[in-house]
Amino acid sequence: MERMSEGFTEWLRSRSDEQLRVLAMSRPELITPVPANVPGLAARAGTPSAVGRALDRLDGFTLAVAETLVVFPPDQLSPAIRRATCDAPGTDEAIGRALATLTEMALVDDERRLAPGVQDALDPPAGLGQPADRVFRHDERAITLADPRAVRKLIAQVGPQARAALDELAWGPPSGRVPNARREVSVETAQSPIEQLLARGLLGAIGDETVTLPREVGLVLRDDRLHRDLSPVPPPLEGVTRRADLASRTAAGQAFSFVRSVEELCELWSVDPPGVLRTGGLAIRDLRRAAQQLDVPEWTAALIIEVAHAAGLIAAGGPADAEWLPTLSYDLWRARQTEDRWEAVARAWLSLDRVPGLAGSRDDRDRLLNVLHPDLRRGAAAEIRRRVLTVVAATELAPSQESVLARLTWERPRRRGAHLARLTEFVLREAEVMGLTGLGVMSPHGRAVLTGVKAADLLAPLLPEPVDHVVLQADLTAVAPGPLTGELDRWLGLAADVESKGGATVYRFAEGSIRRVLDAGQSAEEVLATLARHSTTPVPQPLSYLVTDVARRHGRLRVGSASSYLRCDDPAVLDELLADRRAGVLRMRRLAPTVLVSKASRATMLDSLRAMGYAPVAESLEGDVLITRADARRTEAQPVRQVNGLAAPEAEVVTAAIRALRAGDRALLSRPDPVGEPGGAVPRTPATATISALQEAIKQGSRVWIGYLDSQGQATSRILEPARIEGGYLTAYDETRAAIHRFVLHRITGVADVN
Amino acid sequence: MNDGPLIVQSDKTLLLEVDHERADECRRAIAPFAELERAPEHVHTYRITPLALWNARAAGHDAEQVIDALIGFSRYPVPHALLVDVAETMARYGRLRLEKHPVHGLVLTSTDRAVLEEVLRAKKVQPMIGERLGGDSVAVHPSERGNIKQMLLKLGWPAEDLAGYVDGEAHPIALTEEGWSLRPYQKEAADAFWHGGSGVVVLPCGAGKTIVGAAAMAHAQATTLILVTNTVSVHQWKTELIKRTSLTEDEIGEYTGTKKEIRPVTIATYQVMTAKRGGVYRHLELFDARDWGLVVYDEVHLLPAPIFRMTADLQARRRVGLTATLVREDGREGDVFSLIGPKRYDAPWKEMENQGYIAPADCVEVRVTLRDDERLAYAMADTDERYRFAATTPSKLRVTEALVKKHAGEQVLVIGQYIDQLDELGEHLNAPVIKGETKVKERERLFQAFRDKELQVLVVSKVANFSIDLPEAAVAIQVSGTFGSRQEEAQRLGRVLRPKADGGGARFYSIVSRDTVDQDFAAHRQRFLAEQGYAYQIIDADDVLT
Repeated sequence: MERMSEGFTEWLRSRSDEQLRVLAMSRPELITPVPANVPGLAARAGTPSAVGRALDRLDGFTLAVAETLVVFPPDQLSPAIRRATCDAPGTDEAIGRALATLTEMALVDDERRLAPGVQDALDPPAGLGQPADRVFRHDERAITLADPRAVRKLIAQVGPQARAALDELAWGPPSGRVPNARREVSVETAQSPIEQLLARGLLGAIGDETVTLPREVGLVLRDDRLHRDLSPVPPPLEGVTRRADLASRTAAGQAFSFVRSVEELCELWSVDPPGVLRTGGLAIRDLRRAAQQLDVPEWTAALIIEVAHAAGLIAAGGPADAEWLPTLSYDLWRARQTEDRWEAVARAWLSLDRVPGLAGSRDDRDRLLNVLHPDLRRGAAAEIRRRVLTVVAATELAPSQESVLARLTWERPRRRGAHLARLTEFVLREAEVMGLTGLGVMSPHGRAVLTGVKAADLLAPLLPEPVDHVVLQADLTAVAPGPLTGELDRWLGLAADVESKGGATVYRFAEGSIRRVLDAGQSAEEVLATLARHSTTPVPQPLSYLVTDVARRHGRLRVGSASSYLRCDDPAVLDELLADRRAGVLRMRRLAPTVLVSKASRATMLDSLRAMGYAPVAESLEGDVLITRADARRTEAQPVRQVNGLAAPEAEVVTAAIRALRAGDRALLSRPDPVGEPGGAVPRTPATATISALQEAIKQGSRVWIGYLDSQGQATSRILEPARIEGGYLTAYDETRAAIHRFVLHRITGVADVN
Repeated sequence: MNDGPLIVQSDKTLLLEVDHERADECRRAIAPFAELERAPEHVHTYRITPLALWNARAAGHDAEQVIDALIGFSRYPVPHALLVDVAETMARYGRLRLEKHPVHGLVLTSTDRAVLEEVLRAKKVQPMIGERLGGDSVAVHPSERGNIKQMLLKLGWPAEDLAGYVDGEAHPIALTEEGWSLRPYQKEAADAFWHGGSGVVVLPCGAGKTIVGAAAMAHAQATTLILVTNTVSVHQWKTELIKRTSLTEDEIGEYTGTKKEIRPVTIATYQVMTAKRGGVYRHLELFDARDWGLVVYDEVHLLPAPIFRMTADLQARRRVGLTATLVREDGREGDVFSLIGPKRYDAPWKEMENQGYIAPADCVEVRVTLRDDERLAYAMADTDERYRFAATTPSKLRVTEALVKKHAGEQVLVIGQYIDQLDELGEHLNAPVIKGETKVKERERLFQAFRDKELQVLVVSKVANFSIDLPEAAVAIQVSGTFGSRQEEAQRLGRVLRPKADGGGARFYSIVSRDTVDQDFAAHRQRFLAEQGYAYQIIDADDVLT
């Protein structure tokens, strides 16, 4: 084992920088944090968790190749795989590719030897049982079973029932439960089928009640194939063909209405925000209400809310952060073009590490999962979302959910399960609602979002053009035959009630809505003029009649609020009072000859009047109603939660990491001891020169001599191999300490060449 | 960008721009599966409902056609969810079929076993079914043929009724097209019904539904039971049948409160059929009195609930429903679908008007202002008295007089709800009043006089609303009416929609008290009429009086 890992370390060391870079890209966990040297890297690569994560990333065929290497010697690999694929065309090329991937990921070395830890991680390979020598521990049966011909002979001896039991176990799981598994049986005394098998060593006991099929027997039963129906190529995607232009248009239509729904939600919440639950999240009641108001199913409402939140458009705010409110960034978002707004929300969805589709369902402990609640977080959500969409984007078809799932399972067989199926379903329906796909086909703008290209420009020409007119009809409706321009949209929203939404909007004028627009300060003439200006047809007589009729009665009654009133049967006293300068602070107004009202409270009024020499008495006042208008509210700007996607590590980071690693390794090999601190004057250079010198050294990969104030404030000097500069720190291999170290940039007093 | 005439909304309404060059083509394409909901001047609204989709399936359209039509004519992308929903809903029709079985009589079969299992598990279905015949079919008690259809529709799996019909007792009936001929749409409607087996024909008032009924009878060539709304209608049907068909007076029986004749063609009122004595329907035996080959339902949208129950037992006979609208105030459209049958023919009012079969009408709402003392009295009136108070204000009298005067020389109908008001109007206008207590003979005499233009003005109460024929009424003035009921409006307007000899336009006035509940009800009326595409304007009483 020790030797194996030494060999692996040597092999890793022999890899080129480029190869190590590829390794780090495909297994980013190996360089976070950067190991000190190659043995450190090798050790980390061999840990069960690192191996497990690497294997999780393998597709079905590559995994099968790795499993085959567990069971068969390297030179047997090709024949074994060919048996499993029944010599399907392309098998050899696929084996080549799989080996390249495995080597790249340092799971297999150039000699096709498995890296440390891989064999254990793959145990049992392909559902095979344990090898005979482990089942029988140096028993002679183990020796017998090593010969396939002997195994075949033994199998031929048992009865049909026993044979059936063998076939049952052949393709795994290889173990079964029987009472008293460790009983003593011999070929002569064997009674039951199980006893026949136990007696011949075709089954072996691995526990008091557990028997297993030894690997050698399993292989014979499988005709020396490790896998059934192994395919060297991914399963084809099946689905329906759609007209491409129609599909993109449908996607664009959905994109448009999704953006509109998000906006509508924020507008609704800005005047009537729902509360934040004590445990976080949004009450199911509020979700239902939102669904009803937006006229969408609940799951769509949950998606809209979650995406709006992820895009930073809504957040907890208000007093004690107890309400969900639109953020200031919502106002910025709203001011942008539809296509840009869509791109922003689509990207937020893509990197969302939560599963909106789970909202409203119950978890394992039967707790209701609420929208916006921390419980909806699923670490794998973003990765699976991206994978599903990538599969859909790989075809011109509208792939069926089953075939997408089959492809995903093939790509990552170790990550399959009911969970994956559910997430896939969610992603597909959400992509459709959001307009990444149309009629199930990936749209050009959806593809752009997925690949990180600017999507808005692709979406823009597909969106319906805003119209600046409506069709007015005698049944008091207005039909906007497309999305309205902003100003007209807001005006109609005020002057009419929305009756139906979609590509067009149907508005209905009613007494209440006309009153609303009059309340907003417009006159009947202005309303009619606006209607006439924006209508393609003459304003119908019943509509203009309605407007003038409502206006006729509008404002006939006046309502105001005052804190107190003053009445006096003698108007002359009130005249006198109004003329009195001292009463100016009371801000009184005359409503009628004998009545004054004031903003001042009754108590103030009484005090002031008494001070002025009058003798007023208080009257009890009832029914004084204060009317408050619900203001559109905003939460303070909150930092938009940066969702840390599983985006592959940046190339520069990887390059720097490899450089540091190499430096560490070189140090380990050639200079196991730290070099002495260089003597002489500590280098001193200006700060800008320091940084540029360090950057130059990083670029050249050269060593430098620096002066550094350590954490105690002592001036030291070091020999470094700088790796990268980031966030005020320099990461470098410190040859004087023989370790990788992070240096605070501003404490570096100067840089000089080593020579 | 596609420039289609149709906009598909996410709430399943379809907006059709009528002035678009492809509008006609589009209308024809969507009419089978979408109900016309509103037809104002520029943009018509259709609605896709499950019933409409199933009607389309029953008429032989499939989901692919529906989706093609939507996508083909739509200006904007059609929401995918809507297309999926259309396909799913349509696929529900016909999964279950009622068929004839040589041994078990009637069986329910399914192409989808899961669906069959689902409906058989429903508690209310269980009593209607008999023995299970293999995996995909189950026997149904023949007497439950109607009930099970009703129930399956409620469960969302409407059954296709392929069990056929009894021929009934043969009786020769032929159309006598002398001096008149079947209009093309009437022939289409009758043919469509006949090919469909049973179902409903939707035609606007004045489009000659009686003649469609006669044509259906000529197809059936069998004894026929005709159910109509009231006695006056009975007489009209009889007159029309004698005039339009080979039937003679002796072959047609009247079955009303006063006469109980059962003849090869029998016309009965809903009222007599639903009359009860001692808790039982007394005239149910009429349904079995002869081996009827055809049952005609006039004004299906008014069909009373007990008739539905009786109809459930008549499923083996051919049924044709005639109506101006499928909209029912009580929302029992589903029962019409399952018990009478799917819609077999439909033509919108506006189109018929354009073709000159019905006269165009101008609707005018006249607003009268209550006097100050009346306003005070109105404010103090009890809630349930308010409408009556507002509707019968004396101010309306003067306006009515002025309008009658304005239309002197034309045939004018004054329609109202309150007898006192009508009597007063009759006095002022010097015109006879027809109300509930008026004898049938007297009614018919007055109608005839009105028809012969001996009478120019006639005041009528609610009783005149249904199924009377006043061909020359050019002006209708409504002074009061029941609370904004949609179908009543259709009927009232129908009065003046009859094509007139001189081809002149008809006018429909409604007089409304300003700022009262009367005006609120008028708003419903206005909306309905405008939605039906009629020109509508509102004027002040002063404009009439000066």
